[in-house]
Amino acid sequence: MPKVTSKKCITGINWAASILTSVFFLLLICTSVSAQVPADYFKQNCASCHTIGGGRLTGPDLKNVSERQSRDWLVNWTLDPEGILKSGDPYAVKLQKEARGAVMTRSPGMTRVLSAALLDLIDAESKLEKSQFAGTQISDRPLLAEDIEEGRMLFMGATRLKNNGPSCIGCHTVNSMKGLGGGRLGLNLTRAYARLEGRKGLSAWLVSPPSLMMNPIFKKYPIDEEEVLPLVAFLKNETEIDEPENKTAMINFLLYGMGGAVVLLVIFDLLWNKRFRGVRQPMVKESYHS
Amino acid sequence: MDVRSQISMVFHLDKCIGCHTCSVACKNIWTDRKGTEYMWWNNVETKPGTGFPTKWEDQEKYKGGWEKKNGSIQLRSTGKGRVVPNIFHHPHQPSMNDYYEPWTYKYDELFNAPEGNDQPTARPISMVTGEHMDIEAGPNWDDDLSGSPVYAKNDPNFKNLTAEQQAQLFAIERLVFFYFPRICNHCLNPSCVASCPSGALHKRGEDGIVLIDQEQCRGWRSCVAACPYKKTYYNWQTGKSEKCILCFPRIESGQAPACFHSCVGRIRYLGVLLYDADMIDDVANTPDDQLVEAHRAMVLDPNDPEVIRSAQANGIHDDVIKSAQKSPVYKFVKEWGIALPPHIEYRTLPMLFYVPPMLPVMTTMDGDAKKNMNEGLFPDFDKARAPMEFLANLFSAGNTGKMRYALKKQMAVRQYRRAVTVGDISMEAALKMLLEADCSVEEAEGIYKLTSLCTFDERFVIPPAHREEAIEMMKDPLEHKQEVGFGLREEPERGA
Repeated sequence: MPKVTSKKCITGINWAASILTSVFFLLLICTSVSAQVPADYFKQNCASCHTIGGGRLTGPDLKNVSERQSRDWLVNWTLDPEGILKSGDPYAVKLQKEARGAVMTRSPGMTRVLSAALLDLIDAESKLEKSQFAGTQISDRPLLAEDIEEGRMLFMGATRLKNNGPSCIGCHTVNSMKGLGGGRLGLNLTRAYARLEGRKGLSAWLVSPPSLMMNPIFKKYPIDEEEVLPLVAFLKNETEIDEPENKTAMINFLLYGMGGAVVLLVIFDLLWNKRFRGVRQPMVKESYHS
Repeated sequence: MDVRSQISMVFHLDKCIGCHTCSVACKNIWTDRKGTEYMWWNNVETKPGTGFPTKWEDQEKYKGGWEKKNGSIQLRSTGKGRVVPNIFHHPHQPSMNDYYEPWTYKYDELFNAPEGNDQPTARPISMVTGEHMDIEAGPNWDDDLSGSPVYAKNDPNFKNLTAEQQAQLFAIERLVFFYFPRICNHCLNPSCVASCPSGALHKRGEDGIVLIDQEQCRGWRSCVAACPYKKTYYNWQTGKSEKCILCFPRIESGQAPACFHSCVGRIRYLGVLLYDADMIDDVANTPDDQLVEAHRAMVLDPNDPEVIRSAQANGIHDDVIKSAQKSPVYKFVKEWGIALPPHIEYRTLPMLFYVPPMLPVMTTMDGDAKKNMNEGLFPDFDKARAPMEFLANLFSAGNTGKMRYALKKQMAVRQYRRAVTVGDISMEAALKMLLEADCSVEEAEGIYKLTSLCTFDERFVIPPAHREEAIEMMKDPLEHKQEVGFGLREEPERGA
């Protein structure tokens, strides 16, 4: 069977190629784990709640964290924060209190090795005068009405995000939005400014969103630092206005959907008006009537 | 001249007794699988009647076949511009209501019913839903129901009959019906093949059998709508369409198709016709009244040396040409001109032909006296029980001349044989009749023999299947030989 054999050959070559490629990539990963991986990881997963020497965000400042707890405890904590909390560990309870009830999330892909590497990184960064993780330096200037407006445009998607990330409205809504409101896949962001404890926390979140849903999306297309301030201004304004949630938007959405479906059905019916509608039943019925 | 070979068929309606043995033979072999319960690749209809699916001949509704438009022919049901917007909803699709909901009976209730005062009954259950159902229709619902005000009255072939002619058909003493067995016509210009968006249908090069590739079919059902004879069916279990395959595995091994083999009335004939494929375009474009003649003109004389040469040049095997020379179909269609194509006005150029049934009125009651209706030797075909126009609508696109010719010749042969065997008609008168019917004595003997005394081998002249040559058209036969025969129907696939 020459045809099948040739196919098998091709499959065989593919196999060898894929094995070689994976070996190559494994080597690549092994050599670089020590240097670049923890820093990137910290930036993408930790920096939204923690700084090193930049003061507290949602989570505590990690400068010299090794002096506050043992290495073992810290590694276990990163591996399973909720488990340790549940076990009633007094230090963990204290941390939760300080964070006003927020619990550290179990970071994606965390392992014992990675945790140790991260702690090494934190130790090294703590010794520096100014760590690269001292927190995003967002300007302290007062927020102006123009900033709010610019932020609104970014949120609504009227202005495209500079790095081509998806606009907020795709998944989020705020209460002041009229009509059908924004997306409902993500949280309602009306009180996001308050939830993330102000300008610093919100900025840190926006620079590298840590949530399981947003992280993979914004890893590739991060929000530009210049866009962070207007968005913070907009969300701060929303928290200050704090409009009650518009419950009718949901119902309207449903009603519009149903209305749209009816209109579509009518259009289809007109388009296919001359379609085949059955022969036997009308024929039999008519014969009995006449 | 582009000579091709086609396995063609003749059904002799004067011999059909309407026993449905053909349908059952076919069903047992091919369509007893799940999803095919409602299919009847072969069915027998009572005419006048509405057939299966109901009123399939009404192309205003079903949109099957081709229509002449802007100087060429176009599919009624679809087209290049219409195929995409209609791909997820074909607007001319018959529903189960127009076929019927297949059913069986719950026979175990006959044995397992608790003892009671009443006889246990086997209730009908749907073969689609498995639930109890009330039977409303079947594939044969108007079987033998001539004169039915529901079914016979709605026969689409009545369209240009006068009210008087229609009344004639339904007058009780003139009640008339005949049977109309149908399979796929394996047309020369098949609309099912033309309509398929996936290119899953093809007409086999070596014998013209039209087939649906079960791997390429994507179940768009365009062929179901496009076939004017409604002879492609959608299998709801496999999601693919199916149709009559003319039992090609049997044909390839020299056996007659199941419906032919089992035919009790021996009405079926099968043989090769050679035709000129260059003429298909022109013939399909011919005006209605000339269609029968044009279609017949495509069929080539297999004894003509030029035809033989062209056939050989086209790779048709000598065995097939020899078989074509003995073909009973060639005699009925071309030499004698007494077999006519069904509804050729659909322009698919069907390759199944029908010898029309004679339904003469021989005597009638005039008060208390029996009155002989035949003043001359010929019965008056215009006073026959089925109006000439009705038969012409069915078999010659309304051309009554062709129909009259076919009936007259058959009648002349009968009278001639009566003169030979019974002798109550003078031979002189019989020969005169033959002359009037454009029939020589040899021809009359030929028609008589092939109609009445035909043997199995005379009815079915099946060409040897030179598969190796058919394969040669596609690839190197040696390579093919090495690749087949190990018992794997699907190529083994492993990994990515």
